[in-house]
Amino acid sequence: MAEPDEDADLVRSAIGGDDEAFTELVRRHKGTVLRSAARFARNPAELEDLGQETFLRIYRDLRSFRGDAPFGHWLSRITVHVCYDALRKRRREEKDVSLEVLTAPVADSSTGNGPSAQLARMILDQAMSRLKPEDRLVITLFELEDRSVREVAELTGWSESRVKVRAFRARQALKRHIGGDDER
Amino acid sequence: MNDKRHDRKDVELDRYFALARQAPRDISGVERNFETRVIARIRESREPWYAWAWRLAPVFLALVILLAGWSISYSPVHPADPVATLAWGTQEVALLDNLTGD
Repeated sequence: MAEPDEDADLVRSAIGGDDEAFTELVRRHKGTVLRSAARFARNPAELEDLGQETFLRIYRDLRSFRGDAPFGHWLSRITVHVCYDALRKRRREEKDVSLEVLTAPVADSSTGNGPSAQLARMILDQAMSRLKPEDRLVITLFELEDRSVREVAELTGWSESRVKVRAFRARQALKRHIGGDDER
Repeated sequence: MNDKRHDRKDVELDRYFALARQAPRDISGVERNFETRVIARIRESREPWYAWAWRLAPVFLALVILLAGWSISYSPVHPADPVATLAWGTQEVALLDNLTGD
């Protein structure tokens, strides 16, 4: 577990040009960033891109880290923004190509997960790929990462009411996509 | 009736979310040596523009060799007669004058 004070020291050293300090920051927090980004990535290559983009942005913006909140919170906010940007870009590309592609899912952990869990995730992935980027972001943070409305609002920079509305709409849309349109 | 169907769908969706939460993605492959790749990318982004010039050196070298080879092998045919050599470049002009009546 990363110590906040040590993180702040590492940030100061990294700003001063110490690459080893930044490497240590990446080593400490890569798990958090990659686990979060994996919720949005379609395959390992995309996960690698999202992870690298997140840390590049962190490196560029290090000076704007004020240190009044833990480094982990700041890092999570940047991760969410990078993933949201990627979702919006993907949405534009998919509109251009007008394809619905079922790509190979990121592999499950080797033990403990039966096929039903993997199947559920694939079905959810498919259904969520049809959502608007902001709906997908909110529902992922809210339902899959089990975060509170307040946390989602802090991470996204949106108001709590906007988060609630988005989460509700996303859930309605998901119910339509997953269960078919039998209520119409 | 409609509410019941909605309830059923909510339960179904919650079940999907619960199952998906239990199935964490395997990030171990990406996680391995990830920091090394990140730092390499950061160093690459810090390189000045002229660092690329050295990377393009082989391309320029190949271009120079090609040009040198071409200039050695290129030998235009010139007549041996000095008068004909002088007239060599003026043939087209003479023909044009003849055609236009100048």
